[in-house]
Amino acid sequence: MTNTVEPHETDDAAEMLALITAQQRKVDQLMLRPIPWMLGIWGVAWLVGFLLLWSAYPGGNPLFTIPMAVAAPVFALLIAGAIAASAIIGARLSRGVKGESNFAGAVYGISWSLCGIAFAALGVGLIANGLSQELASIYFPSAFSLMCGTLYLAGAALWRQVSQLVLGIIMLVVGAVAPFFGAPTNNLVMAIFGGGALLVAAIVFAVRLRQAR
Amino acid sequence: MSPVHQGELDPVIHAAARLKITATLATIPPGDRIAFPRLQELLDMTPGNLSTHLRKLEDAAYVEVEKTHQGRTPVTYISLSKAGRRAFEDYTDALKQLLGGTA
Repeated sequence: MTNTVEPHETDDAAEMLALITAQQRKVDQLMLRPIPWMLGIWGVAWLVGFLLLWSAYPGGNPLFTIPMAVAAPVFALLIAGAIAASAIIGARLSRGVKGESNFAGAVYGISWSLCGIAFAALGVGLIANGLSQELASIYFPSAFSLMCGTLYLAGAALWRQVSQLVLGIIMLVVGAVAPFFGAPTNNLVMAIFGGGALLVAAIVFAVRLRQAR
Repeated sequence: MSPVHQGELDPVIHAAARLKITATLATIPPGDRIAFPRLQELLDMTPGNLSTHLRKLEDAAYVEVEKTHQGRTPVTYISLSKAGRRAFEDYTDALKQLLGGTA
């Protein structure tokens, strides 16, 4: 089926300009639509995960206690799930497009695993050198938060996204401030401010996308 | 609303379908290419319709078409050429000028 209607049909400049705007907005929305999901998934993983950890430590949640044998694996599962979900969403977003930006995307993708391994290895190394369990429980959440913050900043620079910039700064602040609350309250700080910031960002993004439609 | 004078606007992209294609390709960063099926998805056009208009854009050297293989399946990648990107910018500027803006 071919449709070879020639110019004349819409010889109104305003109409053509509206056509350009509408089409480019449609492309933008198709590209941005998964972002609230991505932020939301991370938000839930942080909120639930760190609340579980907080509830597992002695002196943590005053309302109820969860065995660490449950909290730790569930936390790991939530984070692994969020990483898998963002990898899938990221790959779907860039499908069908290749070229110079592939390199940046690939480097950014690898950065998450590389940084994750490096920060975890540092923690294990510190423990091997006598870092106490209590200090380790302060190190890991903050290291994780600082890593995410830094990578979000890189993402903001790569794709010129203010939302990622804001998120990155929040993660850095949360990661840097949480240790001052001591263990295990630092986990609560991570859950509420880290997870909360992600969820608020998800909602703001979703609302803005809806309004733009 | 001032009427558009045919002579002032690039006839290659001054047609709804080709303008939509060009506008879509312009959102992809320079140096990147997009696969035919993905472009079709973004445009909501039939493959035949899209091919026809792409050929016209290619004839005007506004679009570069690259045919490769992914394993055994042939894949076509499309991108806006330098001339195409410039033509699109000139076209939008011309529209804005016609509408009384200061482009």
